[in-house]
Amino acid sequence: MKKRKLIATILSASMLVGLLAGCANNSDPGTETPSGGGESTPPATESSEPAGETTDWANFTIDPADIPQEKLDTTLYLAVSIRGLENPYIATINEGMKLFAEYLDSIGQKYEMQVLDSQGDSAKEVDNMRQFAAKAGGNAIAYADPNEDTIAYSLAEAMAESGGYLGTAWNKPADVGPTDLNPNWVIHTSPDNVVNGYNIAKALFDSMGGSGKIFVVEGLLGNTANNSRVEGLEKALAEYPDIEVVAQDTGNWNTDEALALVETWLTQYPDVGGIWCANDNMATGALQALDAAGLKGQVGVCGVDANTDIVEAIANGEATATVSSNGYLQGGYTLAICYAAWTGLLNVEDLPAEYREFATPTVLIDSPEAAKEWQSYVPDFDFSRPFDCRVAD
Amino acid sequence: MMKLNPAATITEEFAERIKSENRSAKMMKLAPLMVLVGMVIVFTIICGTQFFSGSNLLTILNQMALPLVVALGLTFVIMLGSIDLSIDGTVGMAGSLFACFVLNTEFGFNLGFLSVVIAVGASMICGLLIGLCHVYLKIPSFMASFAFMYICKGIGMLSYQGHPPTITDPVIKALPTTYWLGVPFITWVSLLMFVLCLFIQNYTAFGRHIYAVGTNESIPRSVGVSVEKVKVGVFVLAGFLFGVAGVIGAIRLGQGQIAIGSGKMFPAQAAVVVGGTSLAGGKGGVVNTIVGVLIMTVLDNGLLILGVNPNIRTGVQGVIILVAVILTVARGAKVISK
Repeated sequence: MKKRKLIATILSASMLVGLLAGCANNSDPGTETPSGGGESTPPATESSEPAGETTDWANFTIDPADIPQEKLDTTLYLAVSIRGLENPYIATINEGMKLFAEYLDSIGQKYEMQVLDSQGDSAKEVDNMRQFAAKAGGNAIAYADPNEDTIAYSLAEAMAESGGYLGTAWNKPADVGPTDLNPNWVIHTSPDNVVNGYNIAKALFDSMGGSGKIFVVEGLLGNTANNSRVEGLEKALAEYPDIEVVAQDTGNWNTDEALALVETWLTQYPDVGGIWCANDNMATGALQALDAAGLKGQVGVCGVDANTDIVEAIANGEATATVSSNGYLQGGYTLAICYAAWTGLLNVEDLPAEYREFATPTVLIDSPEAAKEWQSYVPDFDFSRPFDCRVAD
Repeated sequence: MMKLNPAATITEEFAERIKSENRSAKMMKLAPLMVLVGMVIVFTIICGTQFFSGSNLLTILNQMALPLVVALGLTFVIMLGSIDLSIDGTVGMAGSLFACFVLNTEFGFNLGFLSVVIAVGASMICGLLIGLCHVYLKIPSFMASFAFMYICKGIGMLSYQGHPPTITDPVIKALPTTYWLGVPFITWVSLLMFVLCLFIQNYTAFGRHIYAVGTNESIPRSVGVSVEKVKVGVFVLAGFLFGVAGVIGAIRLGQGQIAIGSGKMFPAQAAVVVGGTSLAGGKGGVVNTIVGVLIMTVLDNGLLILGVNPNIRTGVQGVIILVAVILTVARGAKVISK
């Protein structure tokens, strides 16, 4: 009986491994021939005209009158490729896509939209993208947040196989970029995380009067966003010599782990003045630990992402600062730029490098007033001016 | 010709062997406790009062509540010789559902205690379905529960759709800071669950049947015990405990998130095994588990207070867990455990 159970377990484990290996094989480029790939890439005649005249890319506009009727009548597939909707920030990216879809409604474009959920699995994210692009037969535009740096190129390639257009955000290796895959990898954008980490740290230190002990709760060690935010923190620390980091560890972006960290540290350093967290999920945990110790409101807490509960806490004076990366803007505008490329109004290859890779604006929320203002924020974008989302150098 | 009466010698030898086996079994029973005491002594020597202080002991009690309840549920499943991989999903789902149905920032429900019933009930139903799939569809518990981990995660994610509800019910909000006799409320809940499990294990026929089924299914079957019912019952009981753990997690965080369950499965399994419950089934029990959970919690807490570099902490933790298992797992068995 035991033996049978053992065999069954091994079998099922090997089946699982086989399944995973099978998926990996499928992701080998070239095994699938996408139907109708390349068929609907933008006609060169359409794109040459606006590209020739406009050099003022910042004011590039989508004029619905220039979009050929056949494009408007073709069903365009929109997608955001993300880690999972359980994160409130990621949910706003999806909202951004819906806002852009409203714009498409207003100009009479036929479309279908979809969320590609990778559940934090890099191989799956690439597979999802390939299937999505193949299904759309090239009539696809997407926003992707690569699960890891290394898959950014693979994602763009998966899209390029069928001739769709992709914009990536946040993660990519420094030595590859959109220009390596013309014209399908349209742009790569990212809020400046060094600035984010620095700004929230500065707000925190100022709230402490420039001196005292702090805890540092990092995100996933080695993750690009975490490293940059910590770099920003270190920059701020150099400017405030009286701030002392008494404890520093990783909460892996997780509320629960951050709660346990801060809870334990508080028994050692009940006189802490502030807690710097690399994201708001962990700031929630820190606040909860402070609450349990009766210190909520007396110790500053900062994070990044502008989660609703942290913004609420800032409005109540219980937390110090957070930064919104404005997922609505990221999701919506990335699709708008890709849409311009798909319609042929924008010739991707003509775009200068600083319009292929750029920083998107963030909103620093560092006072109860700012928090209240953000709470009543209703995203309202003019997607006909797609490069409005670019922070000028 | 030293031994004139070979029969007597064999009896003597047998008696001697039984005695020594009993002695080593007793030693093995105490081994997890000794590891725990050793760990506490080492951390106290290195960190002094920072580790062995009233406030830190309170923190440990707070931090052990959720892992204890999860590990209790897993203990019965492991005693059967099965495994339950659904933990990350069921715990997260129960926590999310609970937060959705009490007074919160996202949804208009205010069901109070009824939301505990909903959350734990949903988790028990999942346990029941895992048990039914395992027993009647003959799917290995490993596979059935693994599938349910995803199903439950899905239900949890669907419940709040990206906007985690923050609990605003004043009574529930106050629970993390509620103490009775100096011990946090949620720790009392976990201890209550422990007593309940201890009672089930030692004083009910169901508890004895779990041991019997875990040791050798054919024996209880031959005396008319429904092995199927026992197995399904264990998965329902585990579902109940995972549900309670999820509610505890949501109370602790003050928010419902699927992440309440993330990464809870393997530490719970390690706690059960370090405590001395055999993965092959039929041995161990909930008393072993509470010691195992304490070992895992103290290790986590101690390493953090020690201020070990985060880049090497995880690795160090693994090495210590391995050493603890080497010290506590009985190796008298004739076969290598699976």
